[in-house]
Amino acid sequence: MTDTLFLFASIAGVPIAIRTAEIEAVVRLGDVVPIPLVQNHVRGLAALRSRVLTVIDMEARIFGTCGHASLITLAVIADIAAHSYGFIVDSVSDITQAPNGIQPIRGRIDPAWAPYAAGLVEHDGRSHLLLSLTDFVAAPGTALAA
Amino acid sequence: MDEILGEFIAETLETLETLSGEIVAWEADPSESARLDAFFRFFHTVKGSCGFLNLPRFERLAHCAEDVLAAVRRGERIADPATVSAVLAVMDRIGALARSIGEEEQIPESEDDALLDALSMNSGGFEIFAPLPVATPTGDEIAIAPAEDEDEVRVDTPVAEAPTRRSSDGGSRERAPRTIRLPLALIDQLMNGISDMVLARNDLARKMRDHGVGPDLEGSFERLSANVADLRDMISKTRMQRVDRLYAAIPRMVRDLTRELGKKATLELDGGDVEMDREMVEMVVDPLTHIVRNALDHGVEAPADRIAAGKSEAGTLRIVARQSGNQIVIEISDDGRGINRAALVEKAIAARLFSAAEASLLSDGEKLNLIFHPGLSTAAAVTSISGRGVGMDVVRANIEQIGGVIGVTSAAGQGTTITMRVPLTLTIIPGLIVRSGALFFAMPRGNVVELLHQNSSMIAIETIGGARIATIRGERYSLIELEDILGLERNTELSGPRTLMVVRSSIGQPYVLGVEAVDSNEELVIRPASPAITAAGVFAGMTLPDNGQPMLLLDAAGLAQKAELPLREADSKARPTAIKADADVRAETIQALVFCERDGKQRLLPLAVVDRVEDLDAGQITISDGIAFARIDGRLMPALNTQGAETGTPKSLRLHDGHEQISYLIEDVVDIIEVPRKLDAQLSQGRIAGLVMVGDTQLEMIDPFAVFAEAAGRRVGAGGTRPIQCLIADAEDPWMRNILAPLLLQAGHDVSFGAAGDGTPDIILCSDEAAVCAAGDVPVLALREVADPAAGGPASIYRYDRETIMAAIAQAVRRAA
Repeated sequence: MTDTLFLFASIAGVPIAIRTAEIEAVVRLGDVVPIPLVQNHVRGLAALRSRVLTVIDMEARIFGTCGHASLITLAVIADIAAHSYGFIVDSVSDITQAPNGIQPIRGRIDPAWAPYAAGLVEHDGRSHLLLSLTDFVAAPGTALAA
Repeated sequence: MDEILGEFIAETLETLETLSGEIVAWEADPSESARLDAFFRFFHTVKGSCGFLNLPRFERLAHCAEDVLAAVRRGERIADPATVSAVLAVMDRIGALARSIGEEEQIPESEDDALLDALSMNSGGFEIFAPLPVATPTGDEIAIAPAEDEDEVRVDTPVAEAPTRRSSDGGSRERAPRTIRLPLALIDQLMNGISDMVLARNDLARKMRDHGVGPDLEGSFERLSANVADLRDMISKTRMQRVDRLYAAIPRMVRDLTRELGKKATLELDGGDVEMDREMVEMVVDPLTHIVRNALDHGVEAPADRIAAGKSEAGTLRIVARQSGNQIVIEISDDGRGINRAALVEKAIAARLFSAAEASLLSDGEKLNLIFHPGLSTAAAVTSISGRGVGMDVVRANIEQIGGVIGVTSAAGQGTTITMRVPLTLTIIPGLIVRSGALFFAMPRGNVVELLHQNSSMIAIETIGGARIATIRGERYSLIELEDILGLERNTELSGPRTLMVVRSSIGQPYVLGVEAVDSNEELVIRPASPAITAAGVFAGMTLPDNGQPMLLLDAAGLAQKAELPLREADSKARPTAIKADADVRAETIQALVFCERDGKQRLLPLAVVDRVEDLDAGQITISDGIAFARIDGRLMPALNTQGAETGTPKSLRLHDGHEQISYLIEDVVDIIEVPRKLDAQLSQGRIAGLVMVGDTQLEMIDPFAVFAEAAGRRVGAGGTRPIQCLIADAEDPWMRNILAPLLLQAGHDVSFGAAGDGTPDIILCSDEAAVCAAGDVPVLALREVADPAAGGPASIYRYDRETIMAAIAQAVRRAA
């Protein structure tokens, strides 16, 4: 377990970790073209060279809100079920191993985070919530209802 | 056929080559089932392919080997070394035979027997030489396709006719073009790479334009640019597959089906060299299979019937593919009995799709198209092959889903032709880039029938009862605005007319879609959109045009559904009823007053409720406690449509319901016309009863009930004697409900609806006396629709003879009392 690499980032001020196996790259996105009639967390489309990414606002998905209006810059790129996605994160700190592996969550977690948090990963002396990107593209409502 | 044969040989040899490594491993560990499966599949494929290639030797060998392997798989036989070597010997022989096809030198057939003997000897009494059973009756036999790994695509490299030699084949010539197999993922990566390159080229071109470069550099760039374009075209071709692939399984299927059905048919396949997108090939396989089954099952007659009909014993099934522009046309024709229209119509009537009278109005084409209706089948009996009535509707849905169309022609006794037209490729489609607000969307050009400017003289736009209608050359279309459906802001700053597109979708009727502008016309590479986007229901995919800005592809059918436009079902019924309405016009019309509302809109009122038209003085209208009254002839009556303090001389329609009067203020009277009593479109919204088609336009008919009820709601309740309980027997009759009921209410009576015998009415009103039999001693008042007394029952009263109706009610009640 200790040789698994994690990407450490933050969403809405919360430190998070994502398994690098799920991730293709972290990029700065250019223009995001908004899409009408979709759920709030689907922010739009962005071009990454010849690929078209569906941009997912993780914060909006977690809290069910419209998300912060700040400029979208950093996105974690991943291919899930043959579609390319960009997941917006506030910042990215590191990609490294977690010597202590994945640990169970301690304390009572905010219900908004509960459907997504799969554990805790320690990095740099801080705990990070372990998230799985596939939870953010699952059919709308399923994860939220969980 | 040579093509198919060549491909079969190439494929067989290729598979043998791959399996040769496995053979050794299998010998070492015969119990491993994965390898056994691979061998089994190989024999199965060979058996299936050579069945229609007329290679009985192959078939026999493969069949026996397959049997043995099947026995091993079932555990009835052990894969002992003797068995393994016997199987291997058969494999070798198949390889040798494959290489020797087309060669002068042949391996004597008798040698095969020795091999097969070896197989059966080891079987320990296992009977192999039972007469070769016709295809084992497992369902999957029919769909034999070359056992090709799904994830691979064949790339035909044109190494042409140069005689190449294979090290293994001892000098026999290779007839098939040399092919290699590549993983699909690699091709996709290649395509993506080329797309990246095109985008980079476009970007570079833009920058070069901005900076201004010399002709020298420009020349080099042009050359690079042309190369990139060529490369893109070539790579696109790797997606293409010959229609032969589509045909591969058909001969076998035809053979099996004709045997099963006891029919005879010859199959003609043409146009196998036409190429289409491999995804498209996959999409068309099922519909084609279905059509072929139908043709054999229902189309082609039994041999005896054919001879009786003066035809050759064997039917002909002909499948032709050809390219027509950017479409592939596939025609499946048989020379069978044709489609029985009468049976179809009968089924449709039985299924209550329409009445017999309506059916008589259907055109021949419409009758034929019933075969695409769910649940209708002309098959007298449900067979295992077809006739369950599920199918052609699914076929049509599948074809339309990929942007194709399907049509049918049929001549009784001479045969049926079904024509499928499908786009060449799913992934590159011509599209129109449309602008809506700040966003751009793509609309497949195939869906767009026509483009018009909103201010074009050819188009008339009306808003009626909340619905927007665009009339183009006498055709009425629903008009929807893209921004409204997508919930976008309309760009108000932009001047200039909006563009209207007449859009045809696979479901429903054509409609008109308004967009801000149509920007350009491009070939678009369409990719599937992620589920989060398709959940919106209006997007069919996404694309990245050459400018590098991602864009969504609109789904014409999805937009119509989102806008809740009427679907096809309404369309198939609309025509007969419209005709029926026309026929009824003479018999069932009422006179209506066309007038101009004070807001300028033209509306209709039944003339029967209009007592007179008067010019009022502004002083005659009083507003008291928020309620307007008009003083006319020394009486105060409620006034509708007042506009605050009146000035000038407003025109008033005095509406009369037999008892009460109200003043309905209008701008002017326009005309008196005949309109059908039955409204063309029923609405019950506020004062509007529905829409009536008048010449080129449609007008809203005012509902007198609503108007009187509105006035009554404002008026101080008029006290009176005990209300008379009136029961209206035909609640469905709009006249009864909309005209009579308000009249009765205004007269101070209570009205209820329902069948005779409900409650204890004082009087029953109906349009047909005979329909109300269980009335007991309750008086029944029959109201006839025409003035002529001879038309109704002896006691009936003309329905617009108010005085008599009122008097009859009063009299009847008095009599009862």
